[in-house]
Amino acid sequence: MSFYKEFTKGLWNELPPFRLLLGLCPVLAITKTAQNGLGMGLAVLFVLVLSNMIVSLVRGIIPKKVRIACFIIIAATLVVAVELLMQAYAYPLYQQLGIFVPLIVVNCIILGRAEAFAAKNPVNLAIADGLGIGIGFTLSLTFLGSVREILGAGSIFGVKLFGESFEPFTIMVEAPGAFICLGVILAFMNHLSKIQNRKRGLTANEKLGQGCTVCGGCTACSRGKASA
Amino acid sequence: MKSIIKMVSVLSVLCAVAGFVLSYLKISTVTPIENQLLTYVQGPAILNVFKDVDNEPIRERKSFAVGDGKNINVFPAIKDGKLFGVAIEGFGQGFGGDIGVMVGFNVNDDTLVNIDITTHKETPGLGSRVSEDSFKKQFIGKPYAVALKSQGGEIDAISGATVSSNGTVLAINDAGNQYKTLKEEIIKTWNSGAKNEFLQGIHQRAVE
Repeated sequence: MSFYKEFTKGLWNELPPFRLLLGLCPVLAITKTAQNGLGMGLAVLFVLVLSNMIVSLVRGIIPKKVRIACFIIIAATLVVAVELLMQAYAYPLYQQLGIFVPLIVVNCIILGRAEAFAAKNPVNLAIADGLGIGIGFTLSLTFLGSVREILGAGSIFGVKLFGESFEPFTIMVEAPGAFICLGVILAFMNHLSKIQNRKRGLTANEKLGQGCTVCGGCTACSRGKASA
Repeated sequence: MKSIIKMVSVLSVLCAVAGFVLSYLKISTVTPIENQLLTYVQGPAILNVFKDVDNEPIRERKSFAVGDGKNINVFPAIKDGKLFGVAIEGFGQGFGGDIGVMVGFNVNDDTLVNIDITTHKETPGLGSRVSEDSFKKQFIGKPYAVALKSQGGEIDAISGATVSSNGTVLAINDAGNQYKTLKEEIIKTWNSGAKNEFLQGIHQRAVE
């Protein structure tokens, strides 16, 4: 049951880019097409699940003072592995994603989940957490990429949707389009939360359920732990 | 003291494991990565350079040593059973890093058959225009040592993108230098009739 709970929280309540607003750099930069979003999401999913698993396995032997260095080594190793495998078996995707693949190392989702979850929980829960958050991230990127590709290029996954007469909004595949789309999506998400909260009789600005503890970000730091 | 030793040893072990895993992966992906580069980067460029040839330049490529331990790939183009040209990739410093150019040489009169850009990181819309046909077609039929007009040559630089244009010319000259040093070997490899017959004999025996 708790495996299921840890898995599903990443799909909606803690959806990384749209709820926690984590990992926004790749979200804004590479979602020009649905395919890029999916590829980037899968790369992050792979790294996140394995890094959560490894961090959880070695959590007993890592000294507290050098834990961040250890997490970064694990993440960096996995990311370089992904980069090599992508070059060897999916070169066109590698050409599209470019510099953003190596940048997964410093993606705050990877380090955040390692620190806030995997370092404190057994392996099966850590994998569930990584899978949930990773799949949520992948779906968010694919969704944002689809929206931008449909509006900006009139196609989805490279398949043309409209006839010749369609005039694409080129701005949607440029950087400003990413901000516009993300803003509109966030507005929808917040509005949805408000409606749900009102139904449950909570005040409008309170997050679903437990208020601000839902994100778990504050338990990562020592002051948050003291107050929690 | 004990905690310091523990920290140092945990970090060292972790780094060592990471190093072994990565070097193993690096070694085992060398061939697939080279194949992917040939398929997605160099392959299309070669087909652009040599439009009508009777052979498959990519499959018949050969690697030559060019000193200081480096090897370069030479792609032959054969027409009517004779070696007609070779393609060599050269690199030159552009505005945003190296520009890679696949250069086709005509082995009969040492002129350029055609060129195509393989990789570049130039500014989109400005330096990236070196990969446009109007710039590239200037090189067709020129002797292989090319230079920009500002340096006494015949090539018009793209306005506002002199560095990128110059990088392309440097890349072509880089390939040209390789071509000059390797020319005799190249001709010996693909054009000696005796050797061709010998190879065909081997091929036939293999087929039989």
